[in-house]
Amino acid sequence: MKVNNMISGQYYPGSSFFHRIDPRAKILAVSAYAVVLFLVAGFGGLVLLAAGLAAGIFLAGVPPSWLWRGLRPVLLLIAITFLFQVFLTGGEELARLGPIPVYREGVFRGAFLALRLMLLVLSGSILTFTTPPVLLTDALGRLMSPLTKIKIPVYELALTMTIALRFIPTLVMETDRIIKAQKARGALAAAGGPVARARGILPVLTPLFVTSFRHADELAVAMESRCWRGGRGRTVRRKLAFNRRDAAFGLALLALLAVSLWVGRFQPGELEIWR
Amino acid sequence: MQAGIDSQAGPGAPAKTSLDARQTSTAPGLRLEMESVSLVYQAGTPFASRALNEISLVVEPGERLGIAGPVGSGKSSLLAVLAGMEAAASGRVLHDGREVGGKNPPAPGSIGLAFQSPESCLFEKTVYDDVAFSPRRQGLADGEVRRRVEEALAATGLDSSRFGHKSPFSLSAGEQRRVALAGVMAVDPRALLLDEPTAYLDPAARRELIARLVDLNRRTGVTMVMVGHDMQELAAFAERLVIIDGGRKAAEGAAKTILTDVDLLDTYGLDPPGTVVLSRLLSVATGRDIPAVTGEEEAVGLLLRLMADGGIMSPP
Ligand SMILES: Nc1ncnc2c1ncn2[C@@H]1O[C@H](COP(=O)(O)OP(=O)(O)O)[C@@H](O)[C@H]1O
Ligand SMILES: [Mg+2]
Repeated sequence: MKVNNMISGQYYPGSSFFHRIDPRAKILAVSAYAVVLFLVAGFGGLVLLAAGLAAGIFLAGVPPSWLWRGLRPVLLLIAITFLFQVFLTGGEELARLGPIPVYREGVFRGAFLALRLMLLVLSGSILTFTTPPVLLTDALGRLMSPLTKIKIPVYELALTMTIALRFIPTLVMETDRIIKAQKARGALAAAGGPVARARGILPVLTPLFVTSFRHADELAVAMESRCWRGGRGRTVRRKLAFNRRDAAFGLALLALLAVSLWVGRFQPGELEIWR
Repeated sequence: MQAGIDSQAGPGAPAKTSLDARQTSTAPGLRLEMESVSLVYQAGTPFASRALNEISLVVEPGERLGIAGPVGSGKSSLLAVLAGMEAAASGRVLHDGREVGGKNPPAPGSIGLAFQSPESCLFEKTVYDDVAFSPRRQGLADGEVRRRVEEALAATGLDSSRFGHKSPFSLSAGEQRRVALAGVMAVDPRALLLDEPTAYLDPAARRELIARLVDLNRRTGVTMVMVGHDMQELAAFAERLVIIDGGRKAAEGAAKTILTDVDLLDTYGLDPPGTVVLSRLLSVATGRDIPAVTGEEEAVGLLLRLMADGGIMSPP
């Protein structure tokens, strides 16, 4: 079933260099990478960043088909961005598509923005491909834990995310089953206008909501009966600690970002994309 | 094919589709067949798991087939594939010789499929509407819909006039189960596939449901496949039994033969029916060679005979 593949498609099990990096380090790295992506103003810097990402992908051992899967949902967005730039940026005429002129600057600018978007999406997917969702929320919670000082319930938010993730496979399997069961009863053979079609999903939606609320209810009772009292004063069983691998990774990344920034720095008065 | 024509019957058509009328129908039960079917969940990902492995199986028209096996052995998956609702990775599934699965859905109205805890699929405002859902989808006239709903509810032991107007969500778990099963029966299918229909019901309700299913099968000749976890129940239901283990067909045979083979059952972690255990104990206690019995009534008869001829002492 496709629902299945969509959800589980986020994590690629493995034990590569990248898989073993501290998830907090990975989150920080991807954030820093994204910031630099938007600071870099020239092609040279972008190419360096792309090379760094390629190295990262190699270290993560994720097959190309998976990268493609990560990119596919945003492909349309990237294409639209490219076309917009191509047709809306003036300058030196490069070619003509029938009556429409295509300008050199447009093509370059379009390619630049498209590449930037692609790198952004791919760097994000490396993170989700190499980090189990539960570790990811855990790490996010810890990175944000200073925020508890200003009364943001970080721990509760992280737990909520973890629980939601935990129930996704269950809900997917249940949805799958409900769809099949209702199909067997002749539902979902949607015919007629949009209203009839919308009504056609009720046989799936209603049971799904009922089941979800029941799960939530049962879980709440179970957690209370097991003395769950919120995040204050909690201790953690699995400690995360930065090690040499993380340090090496961090240094390499810092070097890459610094060089990219320098190579792709913006100099006023120049056409920025030429560098 | 037959059911396709049946279910398309317009409002003016004779009441040929009602459950009882099946006795006169030429081919009431559907023939189900699997040819070395394998099923892989999440194919093409690192999570791919093989739930069924090269399973071949024939369910003859009008037969009552039981399916047993350990938890996670693939029983539910087998049912979904057999129903044509889940596409096999390899192999073929045939309904009356026509290939189904994937892009070929089963003939409309030919299959009644109830998954585990089917009550989780209730969704209409009233019991009547929920059971009437399929007949209405089949485009039947109101009178015929009403007859189907009443018959289906009656077949599960519910009175339409008492329960029809209630919300399904206001009922007890056992009643909800009956409504859900009635909803499947109201399809008036030619094959009824049930996944542990008695799970979580109380003992009396279980016995009654099994008896009603067997009765329905005898009256109408509808093919029935039931996944069960209680061997005594399967003894009461099934004529033939298939044991699934690790996605493979581990054993197949007459229900009586399999259910009395204590060693075989033990291999797959299944508890033999209580009556089989009882007859074993009686053999040991009396020193006689007492045949294993699978039916509860048979077991009572055996006890009475033993008491009558002094094989065991009657209670004071
Ligand atoms: N929708 C699904 N997606 C992925 N795996 C599944 C799905 N449904 C069942 N499975 C897996 O397939 C195997 C067989 O499951 P199932 O057919 O439900 O067994 P049973 O009914 O005998 O307990 C199990 O390992 C189960 O986890
Ligand atoms: Mg099951």
